Amino acid sequence: MNENLFTPFTIPMMLGIPITTLIIMFPTMLFPTPNQLINNRMITIQQWLTKLTSKQLMNTHNPKGQTWSLMFISLFLFITSTNLLGMLPHSFTPTAQLSMNLGMAIPLWAGTVVMGFRNKTKISLAHLLPLGTPTFLIPMLVMIETISLFIQPLALAVRLTANITAGHLLLHLIGSATLALVNISLFTALITFTILTLLTILEFAVTLIQAYVFTLLVSLYLQDNT
Amino acid sequence: MLQIWVPRKPYYVHVYQEIWGGMGLMGFIVYKVKSAGTRSNALKVLSPESAHGHH
Repeated sequence: MNENLFTPFTIPMMLGIPITTLIIMFPTMLFPTPNQLINNRMITIQQWLTKLTSKQLMNTHNPKGQTWSLMFISLFLFITSTNLLGMLPHSFTPTAQLSMNLGMAIPLWAGTVVMGFRNKTKISLAHLLPLGTPTFLIPMLVMIETISLFIQPLALAVRLTANITAGHLLLHLIGSATLALVNISLFTALITFTILTLLTILEFAVTLIQAYVFTLLVSLYLQDNT
Repeated sequence: MLQIWVPRKPYYVHVYQEIWGGMGLMGFIVYKVKSAGTRSNALKVLSPESAHGHH
């Protein structure tokens, strides 16, 4: 399919200019804007799905946290649409690049932490120590909780990158293995083809789940801090 | 025709203040990483042995 395994992850260029920005802006064209009270079926379905997702995601927050609902829904829609578009063969997935996911994770996580420290300083500092720890363990536990706090954006970014990249890579490898096995042994090729089908189904699930997990975790960090 | 656009200004001005701060932090990290990369590339061009450290 491609000359080596790295080609799906290289920055796509057109006449020497990287067109990553255009690719990132493309999924917005697939979500038409509602400009009437009652729209056509496509927009109504999207509105219904958006309402369902936003209710599910935001009903555990207080009103201050619910001001972030626009941000969460846009984030969720963006990650879902870019991941799903990346399932098309030979397409480029922006969310497979660590730089992009770090660019999404660091501002959002830092926003929740800063919000916590600004509005509820004592409570957000108190989150650094779990309830009911023995007295002599307190200094060590505070250090451990601080480290785990600073790891949160890295974990968010790397989780999404690794899941998407690993899924794409596995599909490539098993696909090329199936192709190579067709001439050698048809039965083994059929087994690998079955594995490929199952993996593709898993990949579609992963794209949705990863978007959900990213958004959910950021909303959890927000909940702690509002 | 019904106008159902939500005004975005209060979001950018009030709600996302901390996110702008987070974006500043991200820009700072990007600047640090990029400058370190440029510095190591420049060192590689100038003197390959000093770029790889003294063994």
